[in-house]
Amino acid sequence: MEIPARQSLPAMKKAPSQQGGQKGDPAFRLLVTATGVGVLVVLGAIIAVMVTGGWKAFATFGPGFLVSAVWNPVTQHFGAAAPVFGTVVSSALALIVAVPLAFGTAFWLTALAPPAAAAVIGMAVQLLAAVPSIIFGMWGFFVVVPVVAHYVQPAARQFLGHVPGLSALVAGAPFGTGLFTAALILAVMITPSITAVMRDVFLSMPAVLRESGYGLGATRWEVMRHVVLPWSRQGVVGGIVLGMGRAMGETMAVTFVIGDSNHIGWSLFAPANTIASLIALEFPESPAGSLKLASLMALGAILMAISFVTLWFSRWLLARGEQAAGR
Amino acid sequence: MSVEVPVKTAGMTQPLDTAAPSRDAHPVAMQVKGLNFYYGTSHALHDISLDFPERSVTGMIGPSGCGKSTLLRVLNRMYDLYPGQRATGEVIFDRQNILNAGVDLNVLRSRIGMVFQKPTPFPMSIYDNIAFGIRLHERVSRSEMDGRVEDALRRVALWPEVQDRLSASATALSGGQQQRLCIARTIAVRPEVILLDEPTSALDPVSTARIEELLDELKTEFTIAIVTHNMQQAARCADQVAFFYMGRLIEVDSTARMFTTPREQQTQDYITGRFG
Repeated sequence: MEIPARQSLPAMKKAPSQQGGQKGDPAFRLLVTATGVGVLVVLGAIIAVMVTGGWKAFATFGPGFLVSAVWNPVTQHFGAAAPVFGTVVSSALALIVAVPLAFGTAFWLTALAPPAAAAVIGMAVQLLAAVPSIIFGMWGFFVVVPVVAHYVQPAARQFLGHVPGLSALVAGAPFGTGLFTAALILAVMITPSITAVMRDVFLSMPAVLRESGYGLGATRWEVMRHVVLPWSRQGVVGGIVLGMGRAMGETMAVTFVIGDSNHIGWSLFAPANTIASLIALEFPESPAGSLKLASLMALGAILMAISFVTLWFSRWLLARGEQAAGR
Repeated sequence: MSVEVPVKTAGMTQPLDTAAPSRDAHPVAMQVKGLNFYYGTSHALHDISLDFPERSVTGMIGPSGCGKSTLLRVLNRMYDLYPGQRATGEVIFDRQNILNAGVDLNVLRSRIGMVFQKPTPFPMSIYDNIAFGIRLHERVSRSEMDGRVEDALRRVALWPEVQDRLSASATALSGGQQQRLCIARTIAVRPEVILLDEPTSALDPVSTARIEELLDELKTEFTIAIVTHNMQQAARCADQVAFFYMGRLIEVDSTARMFTTPREQQTQDYITGRFG
């Protein structure tokens, strides 16, 4: 029954183009498969280059490479601890500043702002996210560094300098460059992108679910806290991880303001280095085949490893959250 | 553990007067007088006046875009969430015009609950979906909360189906169960009025029948306003029916009279399926 019926359908007239479609289909399939596999190849190649390039450092210093804070080209002693410390601390500080700011902005934009203001400021957030990092670097160097040197650190020392346990956090000469300044610049850089992601996930929630919350007599905050946030948890964490990834890998802006010192200490205002800033600063002076270049490559591998662990950790957090919610 | 008094009347400028004549033959729970509604410059409701008798079901029917859902969203000030939407006229509830600027919307919405077209379980457990609304307005002990949750779920006949998995996510329930959960969530807050916006249009016939049965029980305690596209549903569930067309209230009467001897030709045409 079915076959004659199909033959009588006008669709038969389209047979030539269907033929073309049948030939095009495997080609297209091959093309998209290649792009998919390509992702894996590129990732594998990058990891391979980093690990083989850095192998000499790992072989020379052993596990001590990870815990040594020495970075001395004269004695040819290199360790990763100082730049890893700088990377983790500056990114963590940046997130502590950026996440509440981004959440507040996204909350305001989606729940409270008048539509005209939300449109203008939403646009400004997007534009801010698109500012090249070199601009933030220059702004940081010429504006933020002097302000931190002349006002912020002296004030911090005045208030916290005599508090036992906290005085170490504000110790050191007021250079203006250092972890705090770098974290501040990073926070300004990543807040817009985290805000943009949060705003989009908040807006993507069905309006009727939000109205159900209000319909029970919940306030805007209660709806945000108990309905919108749990619903959009995945997107919110995704946005934060995105910002953290950007903060950890950020090179140009941080290099301008972090002060270039391979030093681990309590002071928030002390000059430091991140992995990315150290690589940027030292790369031009590292001859091919040198132990220093290998150490920089090894640092690159460590930075990638930290990023992967962060990503995995956030996924694990999400999965655990889903389980707790009974899904 | 002591149980605090519900704070529902807090914030209403005129507290409930217990001596009010609420035991009349036909007490009115909610009264709409000369209501006009605007979406920006578009005039969506024209001079609506309608009484909602206490402890009975008012069905609101009419073709899509006639304004019946808009009216429902005025009754709990849901439109307030959206700038550019405004209402003029009066909606008298508990001797107060709820359109006034000073009304506490959170209290108002706890007294006038709403159920939506699609089931809207919150992304939390079944238990918390019910407890959430109660916690917003009252401070109750753990054991009392357990009782309130069970009671609400029993009222919508959902208890036998979910009592073993109260901590499971509500989003895993079927559509009909989710909608009954949403009704349970609404009545758990102990409102006086329940607004239902086409509550069964996304459900299968069996789930629809269960919800209609439920309405019959709920009206012994709550004042109910239901928007429906389904004429049979209006005929089965409602005590009085209001027919809307193009933003105007064409006719309102008892269900029996509306479906047998409507006064207006437009009503006659709509209920016999000649348009809409």
